[in-house]
Amino acid sequence: MSSIELDSVSKRFGSVEVISELSLTVHSGEFVAFLGPSGCGKSTLLRMIAGLETVDGGEIRIGGERVDNLPPGARGVAMVFQHYALYPHMTVFDNLAFGLKNIGTPTEEIGRRIEEAARILEISHLLKRKPGQLSGGQRQRVAIGRALVKDPKAYLFDEPLSNLDAALRVRTRVELARLHQQTRATTIFVTHDQVEAMTLASRIVVMNARKVEQVGTPMEIYGRPATEFVARFVGSPAMNFLTINLKDRGGFASAVLGDGSVIETDVPINILPSGELRVGLRAEAIRVREDGAIPGKVEVVERLGDRTHAHIRLADGSTLVAEDKGISQVQPGDSVRLAVEGATAHLFDADGLAYHARQ
Amino acid sequence: MAASEHIVGRGIGNKLILFTVVLVAVIWMLPIAWTLLLSFKPNSELMISTASAFHPPYTLKNYADIFQTSGVFRWLWNSAVVSVGVTVGILVLSSLAGYGFARAEFKGRDIIFVLVLLGLAVPEQAVIIARHQMFSDLKMHNTYPAIILPGLSSAFGVFLMTQYFKAIPKDIDEAAMLDNASRFKIFWKVLLPLTIPAQATLGIFSFLGAWNDYLWPLISATKPEMFTITVGMASTQTNFAQSEGLGFLMAQAIFAGLPVFVVYLFFQKYIVRAVAGAAIS
Repeated sequence: MSSIELDSVSKRFGSVEVISELSLTVHSGEFVAFLGPSGCGKSTLLRMIAGLETVDGGEIRIGGERVDNLPPGARGVAMVFQHYALYPHMTVFDNLAFGLKNIGTPTEEIGRRIEEAARILEISHLLKRKPGQLSGGQRQRVAIGRALVKDPKAYLFDEPLSNLDAALRVRTRVELARLHQQTRATTIFVTHDQVEAMTLASRIVVMNARKVEQVGTPMEIYGRPATEFVARFVGSPAMNFLTINLKDRGGFASAVLGDGSVIETDVPINILPSGELRVGLRAEAIRVREDGAIPGKVEVVERLGDRTHAHIRLADGSTLVAEDKGISQVQPGDSVRLAVEGATAHLFDADGLAYHARQ
Repeated sequence: MAASEHIVGRGIGNKLILFTVVLVAVIWMLPIAWTLLLSFKPNSELMISTASAFHPPYTLKNYADIFQTSGVFRWLWNSAVVSVGVTVGILVLSSLAGYGFARAEFKGRDIIFVLVLLGLAVPEQAVIIARHQMFSDLKMHNTYPAIILPGLSSAFGVFLMTQYFKAIPKDIDEAAMLDNASRFKIFWKVLLPLTIPAQATLGIFSFLGAWNDYLWPLISATKPEMFTITVGMASTQTNFAQSEGLGFLMAQAIFAGLPVFVVYLFFQKYIVRAVAGAAIS
């Protein structure tokens, strides 16, 4: 397996710059997810690595070798497409064999590799069928198989699960994780689904508006989001944001909410800029408790089984989502009190930059 | 109750549709049946009244006379060569052009495509004198290329294939690129097989069009040995008022149409699909 290095790569469509001087290294054997909303440039970046889009500036290296001037087939990568892109007129076997035949792989070797991939993906019984005779999940496996047989330097996945129904998506996700554990292959996985990114990747690259917002492990992204965008995009429900006034509490910031309640954070006050600040709180950091300090009124209750989300309006009119246990007594219209775990609070400045407690 | 009323209503609706379809089919088949009937009648009887077609005597003489006409098999052969030549040519050129317009990016592509489509608006008659002059200057009249070549410029074919190639997801090309396939291999092995339904449609229409073509072969082929079957048959008809030899004329019509009928039998499935597809799109 090989590393993938992006060195100040840029891409323009006409006068619009879609990727601007982006640098990133995906280490050998690593599973990296490109996460972001539609149009953020994540698929374009993947396609640039694959060679399906030209690179207007910078260099791409795979396994140390510069590839941005090579055609897609010569880069040694395999890609799994969102819509599978199987060859409809060929059998599953021929779909898997096509790429190997094109590089002159001996027939016995082709047979051996296909047999092996089909066994791993449990599609051995489908080899004589055509894609039209397969279910969505089976097609997805064949598409993965087509990548697997090539024994590539790296795997590129372009939203491969988005066409599957919810149950199958979860199952395939687990299978992909298992497959990666077996192959230890360098993998880039593009998705707009934060759950896929969090569960599969060893590192996540969060992208927005054609630039990288943050690169980190799933728990870094979740626990110490670099920007407001990351904080809002990752995690469900989205992080709560409340405008605050600042108070010094022995070198640490205390956030004074609109209704006068105080949240004692562990964020050092000396790292904070002047100007407007907001506090960011995950729903699980806000609990409905009788001895809570912040009063509020329940507007909507969402029962998820294992937990309950209560949408609460505070005295100053701002709203937030709090988490309660699965069997919650909370009802819409109830007046409740909220206890906030200040240690997990983040502060954000007017530009959306985040400030965290020291680690 | 509502459901059963609905089913009854649908039953009547189906019968009405069936009746209409049968009626249209009968109206459509009447001229063919009439042609067939007259082709078995002696010409002398038909000169007096065509009503005699409804009673004997019937004869095969008109068909036998066709075989007496020298060159009829040669004309059939010419028609076959021309029709197959035109069909294969149109399929090859339209596929390549369609692939180019759908996939290649080059300057002026859209303008050229519009120019090709404008070809649909130019009737053959409008260019036939210039075309005749051109082939005359090239001294090509009375050759297969002269009869075939003008038929190859099929604006409809280019349009159909372009649209069909455009409808194939680009992912497929890209997957093949990652599979190390050359551009030609992608065209030949991956995309072209996916256009077979469009090729079948275009092939059938092209073949029938070429077989039935009359005007250009009539102008280009002046030597009897280069006549196509349509031109050849017409050349044996001395009197277009059909006051004599009506049965013979009808036998000729049936005979000239037989190969097309055979083609239809073989490709019935594709033709129905092609016509239905054209109606839907």
